[in-house]
Parts: sequence; structure tokens; C-alpha cells
Amino acid sequence: MTIPNCLLLYAELKAARVLFIVRMAMRVCRVLEVFRMGTINYLDALKLQEKLVTDRKARKISDTLLSLQHPPTYTLGKRRTDYNLLVTESELQSMGAELHYTQRGGDITFHGPHQAILYPIISLRDIGHGARNYVEKLESTMIELASLYGVKARAGQAGEMGVWVGERKIGAIGVRISSGITSHGLAFNIDPDLSYFKHIVPCGIADKEVTSLRRESNETLPAEEGDDSKRCLSMSLDGFNPNFAYATWCLREHCKLLEKQPRHGLLEFIWASR
Amino acid sequence: MALRMWASSTANALRVSSSRTHLSPALSLSRRFSSVLDGLKYASSHEWVKHEGSVATIGITDHAQDHLGEVVFVELPEPGGSVAATKGFGAVESVKATSDVNSPISGEVIEVNTKLTETPGLINSSPYEDGWMIKIKPSSPAELESLMGAKEYTKFCEEEDASH
Repeated sequence: MTIPNCLLLYAELKAARVLFIVRMAMRVCRVLEVFRMGTINYLDALKLQEKLVTDRKARKISDTLLSLQHPPTYTLGKRRTDYNLLVTESELQSMGAELHYTQRGGDITFHGPHQAILYPIISLRDIGHGARNYVEKLESTMIELASLYGVKARAGQAGEMGVWVGERKIGAIGVRISSGITSHGLAFNIDPDLSYFKHIVPCGIADKEVTSLRRESNETLPAEEGDDSKRCLSMSLDGFNPNFAYATWCLREHCKLLEKQPRHGLLEFIWASR
Repeated sequence: MALRMWASSTANALRVSSSRTHLSPALSLSRRFSSVLDGLKYASSHEWVKHEGSVATIGITDHAQDHLGEVVFVELPEPGGSVAATKGFGAVESVKATSDVNSPISGEVIEVNTKLTETPGLINSSPYEDGWMIKIKPSSPAELESLMGAKEYTKFCEEEDASH
């Protein structure tokens, strides 16, 4: 390497450092809009996410976080691993559950009441993250949440993504990234009806149990009120906050999906706040 | 003499090496020293294009595969279909995340890398060679002009990684 190249290297390192400081400052100014959705049908949530992803790509909105629950719903990922569904679709329907095929990563899973779901619609490029470290942050979110109730959870080993307490799975992850914008996200079992998991091979991992915070924790969990959306939101944020560095939060209290009507502006659905 | 020794050890540390047949690694300042090859064009969404005559080969970069983690599934289009610049043509799944892959240029798909169905990990182990994804007949070769060269792309990755 010649002397002029050394100087060039030095200059480039200096510039990179300045850029780093600017980017850290930008990170401090990042805003997150948080929506408490209550219980929302899977397809409605999916349509909403698609709209938010398009708007986020166009920079019409800031990073957004949806906190919600689903009615009993089974979902499959892009690989369509329906051999991990152990009952027929009509048997599912008679249980009052729905089945949906999605574009997210990951295998088959179940969503239901008292399972806290977070769907972050965020720009990974703005924070310089790739898929791998984003998923690690989602894992850390659930590990943090569990630890607040005295439960020691861990990230899964290779081939067993998600969050585990011993050999029992407490949280699942399935994400889609489109032009650097995330959708889908995580599902953490606060206190769902675990019997629904018997009808699938959860996440394609056989011979492993599914568990919940209710089962694992010796502590008293916050009381559920109404549709349990407040508890799901506040517990989720307790895990999410330390892992995702947002300086400013804009919390939208109880947003209800009223009607699916097109309208000008950000969202296709009409919101009501209570 | 001391300066030459320092320069030589710095060169080793930064892995500035001699070139292969027609593609050579450019100097990279990214934290992990992802390799960036001369002779290719790059999109800001981390795909590369190798234009040879009437055929363009497309894949994802070393930087991209490193940030994704181990690829476990690859979705590719059918030959005969068309792709459009900056629009998705397929996806890769890694660590429970599916990431859309965008085409840097427009054209007609003439071949897809069927080896990726059995061995999706080729994208990790050989992102610029055995891990190629599709070959197309470019419909607007001028689109290549708006893509980044190796040096520009290296700097781009560096800037993205600087916010870690």
C-alpha cells in the first residue's frame, strides 16, 4: 500500500466516523407510532400491514408497531409446510379456528386470545440492520419480557428459532422483509389456550412442548381487563423498548377497525379512538 | 522499510488479494470485510448483476447474505417470465425471515439456478458464483448505468453498517 493510499484510508475512516455520529443522532430522533389494535382478524391485519409497508417504503409514515391478538388462527409460512397440520381444514373450522397461508418466513403456528402479537413495520435500512440481527432483537424482546416475570428464556439453537424456556417454546417469530421494510413479527404466549397447539407440529419442531408465561412464572401476572389488549400492549412494550432504540413514541390508544372503506390519507381503514 | 512492513500487514488485514480470472475483490472497508467484486454492477437493495453480451446474471451480494444469515429456502420465478427493475422477482428465507429479492434491471428470465432448491446455502457460501439466482435477457441495458460500481457499492455498505 502506497503512502497516498494510506492518507486516503485515513480520510475515509474519518468520514465514516462523522457519518456514524450523524446516523446515531438520526437514530435518537426516530419516532415509533404504536397502535393498540385489540383482537383483529388475521386477514384484516395482513391487509393493514401491506398498506403500512407500502406507505413506509414511500416514506409517508414513520416506523409503526401494531400490538394485537388474533382469534384462533393457524398460519403457514412461505414454504407452505402443511404436512405439519395434523387435522383437516374442516376439523379446524369446527373448532372455530381459521387457516391462512402467508408470505412470512417460518413454519406453521397458532395464534389466539391472550397471546401477545407485535407486528413492527420498520425500515431496517434506516437502522442499518439485516434480517439476522432484526430477528435476534425480536428474540431479545421476548426474552426480556419473560425475565420481567422471573422466567429465564433463551433463544433457540440452530434450526429452532424462537424463544424457549428449557425445552418448551414460549415465543415464535415469523417475519417478511420487502425492500428493507418488515412485516409480521412475533407472538408471545402470555396465557393462550395451549391445547390448540396439539393440532400442529409447532414451527415444524416435533417432540417439543409449547408453554406460556402463565405456566412458567411463579409471579402474579398483570390482570387482564376487557379484551386483554392493554395488558398485551404494555407487557410487549416492556420487552420491545429496551431492544429497539426509539426516542419518541406516539401511542394510539384502542384503535378499532370499523369499516373497510377507501379514504384519502394514510390508512385504508377507519379508526376510532376510545 | 518499517513503513513497507506496516503497509504489507495492513494489506493482509484488509485482505487485498490478487485477482481471479476476470473478477477481482476491491478494497472493502466494511466491518466484516464483505467481498465486493470488480466487474459487477450493484443495486442499493444489495443485488449484483454481471452483464456478458446479451445475458445478465443476477444474485445477492456477500454483504446481503451475511446480514441474512443461513439461507434455508429460495423462491425463484419461472423461465420465460419477465422481471422489472427495482421490483421483486423472488425471495430468500433465512432465520424465520423471508426477504424479497429485487431485480436491478428489467428483462426476460431465460434461466434460473435450480441447484438453489436443493442447496439454498450456496447463496451463503458462493454468493457471486454458484449462488447466482437468475439469468435474464436485459430489455433496457441502459438501466445498468444507474447501478453502482464496486467502489461505490463498498462505500454504500460501509455507510449502512456505520449505524450499527
